[in-house]
Amino acid sequence: MQKTITEQNLRALIDLLVKKGTRVVGPRRAGSITLYEPLASGGELILGELPRRSAKEAFFPLCENILSFEKTTEGVKVADVDPSQFPETVIVGARPCDAAAPGILDAVFSWDYKDKFYLERRRKTTIIGLACTSCDDACFCTSVGLSPADPRGSDLFLTPLEGGGYACEAVTEKGEKLLAEFPQLFTDAEAAKALPQAEPAGEKLDLARIKSWLDGNFENPLWAEISERCAGCGACAFVCPACHCFDIVDEGGETKGCRRKSWDACGFGKFTNHASGHNPRDAQPKRYRNRIMHKFKYYDDKFGKTLCTGCGRCIRACPVGIDIAAVLEEISKK
Amino acid sequence: MIDLAKKIEAPATIDITAYAGATEAIRAEAAKLLTEGAVAAVIGYIPGRRNGTAIPAIVTSPEKAQELIFSPACVNNLALYLTRAKKEVKGKGRLAVVAKGCDMRALAGLMGESQLKREDVVIIGVACAGVYGSGADRDAPLAEKNIARKCRECRVHAPEGADVVAGSLPPLPEFSPVEAEELARLEAMTPAARWAFWKEHFSRCIRCMACRSLCPFCYCEQCICDRNRPQAVEATPRPAGNMAWHIVRAMHLAGRCAGCAECERACPMDIPLNLLNRKMARELKELYGHEAGLEPKEKGPLNEYREDDDQSFIK
Repeated sequence: MQKTITEQNLRALIDLLVKKGTRVVGPRRAGSITLYEPLASGGELILGELPRRSAKEAFFPLCENILSFEKTTEGVKVADVDPSQFPETVIVGARPCDAAAPGILDAVFSWDYKDKFYLERRRKTTIIGLACTSCDDACFCTSVGLSPADPRGSDLFLTPLEGGGYACEAVTEKGEKLLAEFPQLFTDAEAAKALPQAEPAGEKLDLARIKSWLDGNFENPLWAEISERCAGCGACAFVCPACHCFDIVDEGGETKGCRRKSWDACGFGKFTNHASGHNPRDAQPKRYRNRIMHKFKYYDDKFGKTLCTGCGRCIRACPVGIDIAAVLEEISKK
Repeated sequence: MIDLAKKIEAPATIDITAYAGATEAIRAEAAKLLTEGAVAAVIGYIPGRRNGTAIPAIVTSPEKAQELIFSPACVNNLALYLTRAKKEVKGKGRLAVVAKGCDMRALAGLMGESQLKREDVVIIGVACAGVYGSGADRDAPLAEKNIARKCRECRVHAPEGADVVAGSLPPLPEFSPVEAEELARLEAMTPAARWAFWKEHFSRCIRCMACRSLCPFCYCEQCICDRNRPQAVEATPRPAGNMAWHIVRAMHLAGRCAGCAECERACPMDIPLNLLNRKMARELKELYGHEAGLEPKEKGPLNEYREDDDQSFIK
């Protein structure tokens, strides 16, 4: 016997969670686009679209205060942000390429320095993943070892069924807990047939082979060939579920301000600019090389993981048409 | 009556077979320039991996020139690669560039600002009936539904002032000017409603700086938005800094922006930035009779002071 949930009950689940005070994040219409944003009700959930940005911001916001300071007559007062105040969160409708990302990012955020902001949010978050039944020509999750029906990273995983509704698979204890908490919304049923999963067109890439080429080709004419066209914006990094570089700046007025952590991007010219004025990555190809090296070599060297889930967002967002799947394919043939 | 008849005759879709002729002409010209050694590189478009896409390419050999194309997917303004923001490309030597009519205006602007000398660049102009809009259906014929907003009101289909012109224009359909209509709608709003409109859009800005990176006129070596000693504009993606950045952008481009709308196309958050550009362009035209990019002009109205400037607005 398998648990299933109707679309109506999925939306009801969101309503109940919101009512309880849980922060529920899911694909939601934001102007002309769809983004993972806090949902006010189940009715706001958009089910058929991959949001323009990834779900990583539920753990790693675009911008957050990490402390505040104020000059007073008794000196400078510094106040920390207390991560224990972060709300319990449920992400609903995360696609496999987004659900898999936190499992990759945990390694870097809990390595030498434990990032309490990320880790506390992560601890308090339950992910309801959703299998994909459609894809576009930028999707390449299957090329990097994931799949449109991969429950990895989800706590509860939903598979769309023929005739509507979803099969529910509890992947972790957090998922079990959710099923147990709202038994009235889930039905034990002989499962209907699952809708066929999406089939991204690209062939599976040999990531080990790509890595071995990267190991020996820090200097190679390919880098300039691919990325001379790069305009040096941060669109690719900012829509990526796995990019995690951030900047820390103090902002405010004369007497008070905040220290803020916000997303950064290795494509920016000033990303590695030293205070001395020296910039070790002083040309765009060096910056693009770093993007590829970080994702398919450095992160693997350090943590044994690939920093890409094949969501294809960078391909769709790049204003000069740099296509990471094409780049990987080219490297894999070398 | 005449107008009505014209409308009835106008085709609903653009016959893009004309683009094949442009492709042939671009390949021939690029190969010739590279073979003769007249240029070190030709900046043009080649097909992307995905069907119906094209990407900028910096071509340095006559063989590679055979990959160049022109199609409705050739959306980029390649003038970007002739600016000092792209030193690596500029450093290659004398360049040739494929330019649509809208891109030509940026080239004229860059010449006016002494960023580019006419004799240092070979311009392969291309007769362009229009290109795809962002997120448009790339399989369907180019028509009302998938043409870029800027192309609907294009007045520079045939580039002027190029060294050669590739291709010829097919009959052009008439499109309703959606951008002009949207601008009129905004202008009719109360200031409070207009503020709310932009506040909502800018709240979505993630400060990826794609608008800046793709703009041929954002070539400042030190953008005020990157300064932190002291900080002029908050660098973090928050409401105050986002609003400040977009106001700085609009003001610094006023009288210079030639309307290629690359900022808007590049924006991954779909912020309608070209509305701001157009508004500024209209103000400059009404106030100073100035239109950017029509000819190389050393100083725009906001970069020049004259004794007889109208000062009646100073109260």
